[in-house]
Amino acid sequence: MTAESPPRPDEANDRNDIDEAIIGKVSDYLDGALSDTERALVEQQIAKDTTWKRAHAELTETRNYLSGLRKAHAPSNFTQGVAETIHRRSAGRFFARRTLGDRVPFGALLVVALAGLLVIGYVLWSSSTGSLKVDRNREHPAPQGSAAVLPR
Amino acid sequence: MSELERTLLRRLRDRDERAFRELIENHRDRVFNITYRMLGNRAEAEEVAQEVFITVFKTIETFREESKFSTWLYRVTVNHCKNRIKYLARRHDRDRDELDETSHETNGAAGVPPHHVQPDRALEGAQLEVLLQEAIAGLEDDQRVVVVLRDIEDLSIEEICAITGLPDGTVKSRLHRARLVLRKRMQRHV
Repeated sequence: MTAESPPRPDEANDRNDIDEAIIGKVSDYLDGALSDTERALVEQQIAKDTTWKRAHAELTETRNYLSGLRKAHAPSNFTQGVAETIHRRSAGRFFARRTLGDRVPFGALLVVALAGLLVIGYVLWSSSTGSLKVDRNREHPAPQGSAAVLPR
Repeated sequence: MSELERTLLRRLRDRDERAFRELIENHRDRVFNITYRMLGNRAEAEEVAQEVFITVFKTIETFREESKFSTWLYRVTVNHCKNRIKYLARRHDRDRDELDETSHETNGAAGVPPHHVQPDRALEGAQLEVLLQEAIAGLEDDQRVVVVLRDIEDLSIEEICAITGLPDGTVKSRLHRARLVLRKRMQRHV
């Protein structure tokens, strides 16, 4: 609530009733969020001060009401309902076995294949008998046969 | 995080439907209880709880295991609830006061009183629950979150800080204020 907005009747009563700081301390006490020293101090206040005692009793009661609320259970067909919704929305693909693309790492295979091709290419190129190696120094022999065939 | 939880997460990431069902079975009641107490309406709560699990499935890859899985799950739950409350408020369709009394009997919302409880006591209990739910629904959204997580779900302040992303002091002060309001409202009726 902002400072400008008028307090609701119940909230206005709160302010006249128990100090919010006391509620805060007792609340922390009930949550086990206080140090040993603070805890002892709050216990002392609860024991000797009626306002603190009342705050403690009322907050304990409120918490008991809340924690005593019956647990709501999901309907028995809830799980099936969720599964069906997923099947429907994904047109049956969501729970299907993963596609080939999901299961086979095509990207990694491509890298391996490229590396393999490079290695093979290098071997062929560097080999003296490799077909990829071009011997530029070698002279081409004259076509002997043609000289014999052509008329002078 | 336990080894069992890690295995389950691995299976979830691999889109193993059985793992998803296992996860829902383990957490559905708690998630549903939070959505129900936050929204105060069973139908809305069920729909939001469903969306929570669907979101978890869709975004499980983004869970980095830096927190407990339950903390992450409750964060998703709280965010969905807050969004739904805003959505309902925008549509002027906020119907949080409704307590689906029939749901206790038909849908097993733990609403069937034990046989040994006398009818007048059972009625008293049901009325108290209606009053409490009304009181919770009347809280500001941020106060409602901390009260539901702390006083109904019994989570620790630390865990609530992790779920909401709020500092310790803010969580405590919201809790104090919420309890103050609840105490006053309950006093008027009980």
